[in-house]
Amino acid sequence: MLSAHDATILATSFIVSARAVLWSLPVAIAFAYVLSRPRFPGKSVIDAFAHLPLVLPPVLIGFMMLLVLGRRGPIGGWLDQTFGVQLAFSSEGASLATAVMAFPLMVRAIRLSFEATDARYFQAAALLRAGPWDRFASVALPLAAPGVLAGAATAFAAGLGEFGAVITFASNIEGETQTLPLAIYSALQVPGGEETALRLALYSFTLAIAGLGAAEALQAWARRRLQA
Amino acid sequence: MSVLEIGAQLKRGAFMLNAKTSAPLDGVTVIFGPSGAGKSLLLSAIAGLARIEAGKIVLADRVLDAPSERVRVPPHERGVGMVFQDARLFPHLSVRGNLAYAERRAPAHKTRLSLAEAAKEFDIADLLERRVRNLSGGEQGRVALARAILSAPDLLLLDEPFAALDRPRRRAFLSSLRGIHERHALPMIVVTHQIDDAASIADHVIGLRGGSVVAAGAIAQTVATEAFQSLLDPHDVGAAVPLDALASRAQRRERAAWVRADHVLLARVRPEGISARNIWEAKVSSIKHEADGAILVGVETKFGPISARITSEAAQELELAPGKSLWAIVKAHAV
Repeated sequence: MLSAHDATILATSFIVSARAVLWSLPVAIAFAYVLSRPRFPGKSVIDAFAHLPLVLPPVLIGFMMLLVLGRRGPIGGWLDQTFGVQLAFSSEGASLATAVMAFPLMVRAIRLSFEATDARYFQAAALLRAGPWDRFASVALPLAAPGVLAGAATAFAAGLGEFGAVITFASNIEGETQTLPLAIYSALQVPGGEETALRLALYSFTLAIAGLGAAEALQAWARRRLQA
Repeated sequence: MSVLEIGAQLKRGAFMLNAKTSAPLDGVTVIFGPSGAGKSLLLSAIAGLARIEAGKIVLADRVLDAPSERVRVPPHERGVGMVFQDARLFPHLSVRGNLAYAERRAPAHKTRLSLAEAAKEFDIADLLERRVRNLSGGEQGRVALARAILSAPDLLLLDEPFAALDRPRRRAFLSSLRGIHERHALPMIVVTHQIDDAASIADHVIGLRGGSVVAAGAIAQTVATEAFQSLLDPHDVGAAVPLDALASRAQRRERAAWVRADHVLLARVRPEGISARNIWEAKVSSIKHEADGAILVGVETKFGPISARITSEAAQELELAPGKSLWAIVKAHAV
């Protein structure tokens, strides 16, 4: 049975990662769609920018977020004064850090899906009077649905395990920002905490496998539905 | 009378399309030519899917493309519909979903028929709830056609939509296309490389080769020209004969039948006791010696000019000479 302590950690992980996926999904779809278009000026810059979180150390991402979004940062300060919103060291901040880290994973999966969509369907839609936005919503997105679902599920599973950026930007606050990997880390700091750490690791492992399985199943289902 | 003015210049790799012609908007125009002539590319240019580099495309009084005036109407605003060779039904929608996609986006004042009426007219009412992947090729073609008409276009382009059909189905499809054209007063431009298809449906024909228009005009006159005949395979050389002139196997809706020179016999006297159903008086108008020794004889009949391919021995026996009166015999089976 789950103890109250473990349940809190799991719930925090779940909320942080789910919110992260929800936030970064629309942006990731927009980036993926733009990047799937044929060559245009600035494409490689956008591509590199989207991939930054994948190649930079997560701690550095967290640090950069602190600089920009912290209370004394240019955007963070403005958010604090105008709306009284503080992102750093909050559950929302943990989600945002997770969202940034999961972003390239999503963009890659969704972009592949957009690129694999047959352009002939867009032509057909155009000649049925559908404009560019209409074509995106009514043809491109539904046809890319398997990739979008897979990208979201993979990002969710990866988000459950995000460590460096979260601990740097949102700190390790129990019930607020302490997700599974942070809790494992904390447990290891305490003498005799190995047992707790192992138990949490087991949850983490199970969740990750379940997430990947779900991604696979969703994708297979969506693909079956679309098969022409 | 309104026309579609076509002036389309564009390059695709080594291929150069340079077509200048026009098509009246009160009939069916066929773009005819051998494969690689640029027929589909010309259709894409009219639809706006291929961008012309120079020239001008005007639909009735609307300029669709004029690079020199920086005018370019995007495909979705042209009011031009298209039926593709490969149907291109949306795989994420049912048959009904595909039809509704078109109906929802059609301007109400231009609508010709409702979804239910279209389903009935194209004999797809029983397929409405099916997924498109479960349709046969012929069914897909009918759904694609219904979908295109539900989008209420001012002009419908068809890129060999019947290429996948066998001969009888193709006949039926062409015949129904003609019916749709007449019932809904919908101008059509149809691409084909089959001369029989062209003859059966066209009021007007544009002959294309190597990206250029070699002949264009009303079908009866145009197909008789040397330039148009040069587009044909030698064994396809012939003439379009109005269908009501022919005693044929079945009653059909098509405009004309293509009578190949190889299927026409000539006789000095009116033959009797013969199985052929079409025997017409014919006056020799031209004699052409072909490279392989055969002779192509052009004759005038009451249904217009036709031609017959005969051997030189036969020509001698017939005492062939311009102006000579003969009998032309066409086997009904051949058409």
